[in-house]
Amino acid sequence: MINLHGLILADRSSRDLRELVMIRTSSSLPFAGRYRLIDFALSNLQNAGVRDVGVVMQRNYSSLLDHIGSGKEWDMSRKRGGLKLLPPFTGSGEYEGIIDALENVRGYIEDIKQDYVALMRGSLAASIDMSAVMYQHVKSGADITAVCTNVTPEGEHHRFIVGEDGFAKEIMLRRVGPGEGVVTLEVYVMSKEVLLGIIDRCDNALNHKFHRDGLGGLLAAGGKIGIYMHDDYAVHITSVNGYYKASMDMLDRELRRQLFPEDRPVRTKGRSDVSTYYGDKAVSRNSLVADGCIIEGSLENCVIFRGVRVGAGAVLKNCIIMQDTVVSEGVGLNYVISDKDVFISKDVTLSGSPRLPLVLPKGSRV
Amino acid sequence: MNRKCIAMLLAGGQGSRLYALTKDVAKPSVPFGGKYRIIDFPLSNCANSGIDVVGVLTQYKPLQLNSYIGSGQAYDLDSSDGGVFILPPYQSAGEKGSWFSGTANAIYQNIAFIENYDPENVLILSGDHIYKMDYSDMLREHVQHGADCTIAVKQVSLEEATRFGILSCGEDGYINEFEEKPKKPKSDLASMGIYIFNWKKLREYLIADEADPDSDKDFGKNIIPKMLAAGEKLWPYRFDGYWRDVGTIVSLWDANMDMLSSTLINLYDPDWPIRSKSPIKPPHYAGPDSSINHSIVTEGCEIYGEVSNSVLSSSVTVGRGAHVFYSILMPGSKVEDGAVVRYAIIGENTVVRAGARVGSDPDGSDEWNVATCGPGIEVGAGAVIKAGAMIYDSVPAGEGSDEQ
Repeated sequence: MINLHGLILADRSSRDLRELVMIRTSSSLPFAGRYRLIDFALSNLQNAGVRDVGVVMQRNYSSLLDHIGSGKEWDMSRKRGGLKLLPPFTGSGEYEGIIDALENVRGYIEDIKQDYVALMRGSLAASIDMSAVMYQHVKSGADITAVCTNVTPEGEHHRFIVGEDGFAKEIMLRRVGPGEGVVTLEVYVMSKEVLLGIIDRCDNALNHKFHRDGLGGLLAAGGKIGIYMHDDYAVHITSVNGYYKASMDMLDRELRRQLFPEDRPVRTKGRSDVSTYYGDKAVSRNSLVADGCIIEGSLENCVIFRGVRVGAGAVLKNCIIMQDTVVSEGVGLNYVISDKDVFISKDVTLSGSPRLPLVLPKGSRV
Repeated sequence: MNRKCIAMLLAGGQGSRLYALTKDVAKPSVPFGGKYRIIDFPLSNCANSGIDVVGVLTQYKPLQLNSYIGSGQAYDLDSSDGGVFILPPYQSAGEKGSWFSGTANAIYQNIAFIENYDPENVLILSGDHIYKMDYSDMLREHVQHGADCTIAVKQVSLEEATRFGILSCGEDGYINEFEEKPKKPKSDLASMGIYIFNWKKLREYLIADEADPDSDKDFGKNIIPKMLAAGEKLWPYRFDGYWRDVGTIVSLWDANMDMLSSTLINLYDPDWPIRSKSPIKPPHYAGPDSSINHSIVTEGCEIYGEVSNSVLSSSVTVGRGAHVFYSILMPGSKVEDGAVVRYAIIGENTVVRAGARVGSDPDGSDEWNVATCGPGIEVGAGAVIKAGAMIYDSVPAGEGSDEQ
């Protein structure tokens, strides 16, 4: 078994996800018709042979608990080790940042049996070959290996300037837009000692930032941060617009193949749904549709989750419709994100815009 | 550990009338209705009926079935003191092991397994029907009527009755006659091949039947008639829901087409889910120029062409300009660009290359039938497969096209 332990940060959600994270953390946000974002982190670890994984959670985690369960879907329900859920044990449960979260689970980290730890966020949608990251990490002799991309994401991110030796020279914090260096996906492999060292390094209120003080401090002290380039699709979901764009990206065959490669399947909680039925007058164009739906109306550029009903004469364009939502006959929707269990009555017309999709919160009736 | 009822599922049959579809797998693991394999129906019925010990008797090509059922996790049957158990024929010390020689012999050979659970009753099932049935309701009637054996029965037309085991009942409601495939049926009550036996009784009859050199060791032919002759109490459990045999190409095709109508069998019922081992695939994708009507489509499919009145299992690809009508595409099969599939069954992972044609519309002739391509083969580009054909091996490009 691989000498690697997974630590998934499912603690914080970006406020820009608005209604979508009112009742959940971003890690349990439904994505691509049948998944939750944390499925990618869990599956990346599973596909590399990692079975011992801690999930750091902070608040709003009931949907996450419900989704992950015992970790059975990812082969992480084991007699020894396996999946461990780490809600706030002590203190206020208000984590200021990664360091707060890690300090809170310090005891857990100290008890990790493996020599190496993979630290990652639960809100990253990417299929990363963690065994390749681990291989490079051990071979390169780096203290930390950071998984990075050349694609500039929306919003704030951190960059590394890479030296000729392939190691990071400098970390550039909170950048926006294109720039020098490579963008970190905030997936890090390091030894348990290095991780504990970073927590120690950030021991007071003045130096309490993982990237600035932890990684920056390590670099300043002569530590080596290796760079593993991830060329395939990767996106942190941090805003409604970002969520909408990433969802629509999944209508592209090549991007879909990058996120769901044949040889590294993404697993999720099963539901035993039936296949989807299309009625006599149904239309489905450039759309992704999960099982268990009954489609009588028309879909164009849509992502449809499990168990959705679309009535006859309904016309849905550019929409994301989450599980078990009912769209009645004659409804017209354009640029709408409907959360779970929404009921939209007959002949209602709703429209958002490409820059500002309309979000219908979970369980609402329209 | 005493139990009211355990189930024994006879899954060893080849299903030889499915020809190419069962060349490598047993009939119960033939894909069905998009998401399922045939065995999902009796296993889900067991789970939903609260029967938590199921012995699955395998014999013919069991490998796929074994790995498909696994620990029974997909059916929530993987409990700590019960579960699904695969029971192949085995050898005992000092004896020459032997294959199951009949349905009754298969149970006889597993008496030791059943005794482990010390059950009051044993439910005998077969793996070749599509239906939803509450076996606990059948068990209730069985116990209420103090029956030694209860047989699930369904009313059929008198024409159909010649294909089934037919039961007649006396005025007291108990069964007084049983005829296997009668030329002149005396009743329209057909046995569904689902039995609940009082275990102590069944055990006696199995042992006696095994010693009878003239017996076929079959429930319908031997055990039931012998119990009737001895005056045991046999009760009919009347079932009027959807029930289809899928033992032939035509009946398999028909039953798949039934899945397009939720009024025949409702698979969306949250109280009676039919469970299956879902493949791990993203949702299906319908391309910009696709057209899908009156069809069911499963996760992992990529549809760029036209699909109507068809059943598509997981991970099926239908290419640009391809047409699929009144057909069943089993898991992983591919219909490439411009190919046409009409009234056909395409086996698992079989590829219909670009421009090939498989099957044709009914022409009213007696020779017409559904065309079948077995699993794991390739129908070459531009090849033509006629209606009613049964294809076991790959067909080279262009073959059959000149005969048009």
